[in-house]
Amino acid sequence: MKKKLLSLLLATAMLAALAGCGGGKTAADAMDEAGESSAAAEQTKEETEAVQETQEEEEPAAGENKEPAQLDTSERVDLVFYTLGDAPADKEKVQEKINEILLEKVNATVDFQFSTWVDWQQKYSLQLTTGGVDLIYTANWSEYGTLANSGAFLPLDDLLDTVSPDMRELIGESALNQCRVGGQLYTIPCNDLEFTCNGIIYREDLREKYDLPVPNTPENIEAYLLGIKENDPDQQLLDVNGQETMGTVFNFKYPWVTFTGVPYGLAINYDTPQEVNDYWFSDDFLEDMKLLKKWADLGFWSRSALSNTPQEAPLENGLSVMYFAGFNPAKATWVMKDVEEEHPDWKVEFIAFGETTGVIFPANMQTNGTAVSKDCKNPERAMKVLELLLTDKELNDLVMYGIEGEHYEVDENGIYQNLSDKYGYGSMSTPNLRNKDIMIPSEARLRQDKFSTKFEEIGAKTKFPNTDIFGGFTEDNTPYSTEYGAVSNVCDQYLKPLLVGTVDDVDAAVAQFRDKLKEAGIDACREGYKEQWIAYCEEYGYK
Amino acid sequence: MEERMERKIWGRKTGIWISATVSALAFILSLPFVAWVRLVNISALFPEIGISREMAADLYQSYSVFNLLDFVQKGNQGKLGLYAMILLMLLLASWYFNLSYLWKVIRNKKRKNGDLDLYAGGRLSMSFTLLLAGAGLGFVAFSNHSFGRKGFSASPVIYLLAVLAAAAYAVIKMMEKKERELYHEHGLVKEIRKNWILFLMLVPMFIYFLINSYLPMVGVYYAFTSFNFRDGLWASPFVGMKNFEFLMKGDLFRLTKNTILYNIAFILLGNVLQVFFAVLVSQTAGKWFKKVSQTLMFMPYFVSFVLLRVLVYNLFEYDYGLINNIVTSLGGERIDFYNTPAYWPFLIVAFNLWKGIGYGMVVYLASIMGIDGELYEAARVDGANIFHQIRYITLPLLKPTFIILLLYSLGGIMKGQFELFYQMVGNNGVLYNVTDIIDTYVYRITMTQPLSIGLGTAAGLYQSVFGFVLVVGINWLIKRKNSQYALF
Amino acid sequence: MKIKTSKSMIAFQSIACVLLTFGAVICVLPFGIILSGSLTDDAIIIKEGYSILPKGFTFEAYKTIFKVPGEILQAYKMTIFYTAVGTSLGLMMITMTSYVISRKEFKYRDQVSFLIYFTTLFGGGLIPWYLMYANVLNMKGTTFPIWFPGLMSPFLIILMRTFISESVPDAITESAKLDGAGHLTIFGRIILPVLGPGLATVGLFLALGYWNDWYRSSMFSTSQETWELQFYLYNLLNAAASIKQMAMNADIAMADIPTQSMKLAMAVVVTGPVLLFYPFVQRYFVSGITVGAVKG
Repeated sequence: MKKKLLSLLLATAMLAALAGCGGGKTAADAMDEAGESSAAAEQTKEETEAVQETQEEEEPAAGENKEPAQLDTSERVDLVFYTLGDAPADKEKVQEKINEILLEKVNATVDFQFSTWVDWQQKYSLQLTTGGVDLIYTANWSEYGTLANSGAFLPLDDLLDTVSPDMRELIGESALNQCRVGGQLYTIPCNDLEFTCNGIIYREDLREKYDLPVPNTPENIEAYLLGIKENDPDQQLLDVNGQETMGTVFNFKYPWVTFTGVPYGLAINYDTPQEVNDYWFSDDFLEDMKLLKKWADLGFWSRSALSNTPQEAPLENGLSVMYFAGFNPAKATWVMKDVEEEHPDWKVEFIAFGETTGVIFPANMQTNGTAVSKDCKNPERAMKVLELLLTDKELNDLVMYGIEGEHYEVDENGIYQNLSDKYGYGSMSTPNLRNKDIMIPSEARLRQDKFSTKFEEIGAKTKFPNTDIFGGFTEDNTPYSTEYGAVSNVCDQYLKPLLVGTVDDVDAAVAQFRDKLKEAGIDACREGYKEQWIAYCEEYGYK
Repeated sequence: MEERMERKIWGRKTGIWISATVSALAFILSLPFVAWVRLVNISALFPEIGISREMAADLYQSYSVFNLLDFVQKGNQGKLGLYAMILLMLLLASWYFNLSYLWKVIRNKKRKNGDLDLYAGGRLSMSFTLLLAGAGLGFVAFSNHSFGRKGFSASPVIYLLAVLAAAAYAVIKMMEKKERELYHEHGLVKEIRKNWILFLMLVPMFIYFLINSYLPMVGVYYAFTSFNFRDGLWASPFVGMKNFEFLMKGDLFRLTKNTILYNIAFILLGNVLQVFFAVLVSQTAGKWFKKVSQTLMFMPYFVSFVLLRVLVYNLFEYDYGLINNIVTSLGGERIDFYNTPAYWPFLIVAFNLWKGIGYGMVVYLASIMGIDGELYEAARVDGANIFHQIRYITLPLLKPTFIILLLYSLGGIMKGQFELFYQMVGNNGVLYNVTDIIDTYVYRITMTQPLSIGLGTAAGLYQSVFGFVLVVGINWLIKRKNSQYALF
Repeated sequence: MKIKTSKSMIAFQSIACVLLTFGAVICVLPFGIILSGSLTDDAIIIKEGYSILPKGFTFEAYKTIFKVPGEILQAYKMTIFYTAVGTSLGLMMITMTSYVISRKEFKYRDQVSFLIYFTTLFGGGLIPWYLMYANVLNMKGTTFPIWFPGLMSPFLIILMRTFISESVPDAITESAKLDGAGHLTIFGRIILPVLGPGLATVGLFLALGYWNDWYRSSMFSTSQETWELQFYLYNLLNAAASIKQMAMNADIAMADIPTQSMKLAMAVVVTGPVLLFYPFVQRYFVSGITVGAVKG
């Protein structure tokens, strides 16, 4: 019996051999075999492609002169507008009003959906992945560049020209250019250009009381904090935690270094943008980390800093005398207002890092924008609705402030006054729909404008006056995404302890951090980043 | 009579040998060197689907099922990836069934139900061969559809296999019918007709697991892709094992070790503690005391992890934490918990036990309550004291529950209690070396990159496969020793 | 003889008493801290941290919560709805399934058990799961994806199977079968009546699963109307941290951020009722004994 089986197997094996072997010849051979004819075909194909490309390039220019096609609104379209934040209590009520108008104007409705702040990163990219939204809020801190690079949004140039040609003027071509990723426009920024330059806020009243220096450099900060500690040992000084480390303080020293994780400890001088310097492997870095260790040992912040969660409103509650992380004039004015109301005897001041370093510029336009998701089925209508929400005074007021008389009123000075908890200022979480031409100013806003004037003067003296040269740059880390992930993980594990000064031996910890960086492939990241950055500088003429 | 037996045996032998040949043929013809699909008119096709001359150097003119994924990866044809993956799975399954059928035929072992086992194996191997051939043809149609032109053509091998497998299936089925009559056994259809109520009772379960578990399982495919939005979930580039390689680079060994050790501590200590307290509660006099203590021990379960973080922090904080306040008031040095990794394994285990004790106790209590009261009565009459009763009645009767719960938890030994670790440790890099488990590591990686779907899925798949092998192995051991405790 | 028994009994009782008290105190202490924190003046929490007894006793936090009780009551209503629907439906499905796979005469019990257990090992991950409910079934925004995924779990099915085979010996069902009883009769008349503790346990676990879930609301709710209670709490606790976590470039209006004591008061309000409810379920374990005694 076994013999029989064996012979059968043999026979089948032969049959198999006859059936022909897979994978012998490479496909390239076949391409070659096709010979010159195919090569010629390929060439012509390339040529036609080249022709097409030139045509495509010319198209937008032609488009500008074209009359916008009349939008077909015969069919009703229901759109979803996804924003980051919590829904206001009266969302439905306001939305109904908005939709009444929208239905009448363009036969469309919009449903605002909110991420809530629980796991928002995950939910935000999930919406884009699974395609449940049409219009979506974008920001540089919600990974606009990465998402756009990866094709999550529709390119908007053509849509702008055909549906809303007036928008270009409203937003401004330079603002639009800042939002380009790989030459394509994927988001419509709001036209409200403001100074979101970061800085610190601190208790000015304590400084005056104990006669301390203005904390505008690392040295002065040390003196300021020490002075308070000596005079009032019970006063807690800083709220430092795992998300808001002390690295920010060195922004007073270096105009362009990112301290939390990537991009790779590279330092760029504003005046010489094409010169990319190294920070993490420099002696300065070691010295700075030693300074932080010294401060930690002096007890400027909690020993448990890395495990702390950010406290809400530490300054307002008297839990800190100074606040570092990501404070911009807008936030600062809110805090000032709160402090004024709750502690009239206190005084809070804001210092932008740029006031010390002399490098200051207005907001990155990518901060607040609206994109059309790639899965949107009616991009034209979505664009039209976006245009109306941005430019139609009635609609814009509804979205931004709610129903007049019920949620807000405008006082005799033309300033916004809130009337109800159920709908606040900008309560649909849509800062991307702010339009400076038709905006109703709030009190905080007016304070903010004072800062803006001051900063504009400083900004005018820089080499690229009042331009955010970093703003338009979007790193595409796909070629070295593996290393990127590894490096950011190393930063989390080894850089953060340094930045809160809780390591025992700074020299050893810095050496270990550097070793781990090398292991993780920092060089590949740095090279990739540099290459893209310099190409970008060349393109925009930043020299 | 004798003559009939003879004929039957002759028919049986031929039938089995025919099907075994088909099985062997199916195996050989699906080996990597046999071409199943051929690329047609390559010089026109490739430029159209975006394959350059350089890429083509790595590609072949014809492919077997085995290396189709190679084409998907090197030719950057992500949209064919899922289908090619399914084909490969089918291929492996058909190999497994065909070889085990051949093995059964060669071993030719008699069982009490005759050759029914053999026939079942034969039917399985034939149906998978048939399925594979069908799916192969489907793949050609699918790829042509997605190329928008004729790109692949099916080799005659596929048709040959399909026909042979169908024929062999029919032969086996015929023989099986005879054999069944002989042994009064019946197949699925008859079983359903007989016990239709039981099957009906299972329908909701099937629907539930189909929706909630089995259909979404297709997603493990993402583990082999590098996601981008442009191509979407199902057509992103296929990258093979690259995601797994990345995980390997990131201290996979340390993470796996941490995860397993923590889980062993959780499972063992947890169950022992739960049994201990369940026995205590069940045997104490004083109905009121019993009830109150049980209720109180359940309370930690309601402390959500977010609240747990607040609590832990306020206990262990350096400057004004409760414990350090007590330590200093007793004249001791402050303890720097948050910068000393050595404390954390103990703290994490302790808090996990603390949180789960009431929950786990309920199961054991219910089991104890189910024990026949007469047993204790009889023991008492025989003069056994309470310790004897516990030792010789309660504990042995808890054993099945204990083992099943233990075994059950083993399946999750690679999965970490993400929230526990994340909330207790947070972003404290100093503690990572001793507190990092796979889940927290992946969370950190994926949070920094919105495009890391593949990486996250790969980590999940690694955990699943590891856990699966472990559980199947242990279950197999237990089944051999004491089958009543086996999970499945 | 008798003296000896009672001696060991006394020894056991006192040890048990001490250990249980100790265990109970450890378990309840943090809850005490939460409760006392919720009754403490906010300023004191901020300055001195938590304590076991409230300093500066005040009901302020609770008053604030119930000033506008609409949202929290709605969340309560929804959670009770999810728990009721999910627990009753789930208990039914689990019991039926467990009954079938506990039958020795059911030919495919191994295969079905494996099919169930397999789901604990392998999963497709979040995205396909989400796609299934949101895109394939198109149920996003409805209540279905919030209660449906919690109906069954392999753990509970296997637990129930153990309960069934432990509380009803095969001999009993065999003899019932010989008397001509069908599966429905055996299931309804013989198994269910003695399954008290098992039903109570599995029911409790199911209900707790629903009560403690927040994730499904987070994923599938499109309006606050359908929020689960825990998600309401979680969102409240997390909002402040998250708002700060993101870069502060965008000028997004800060919602009213709850104070420390109010957070804790919320925690008490959310979990308190379950704690009160639990002793009632516990009664069923006790009644389980009586059933056993009658049977014996």
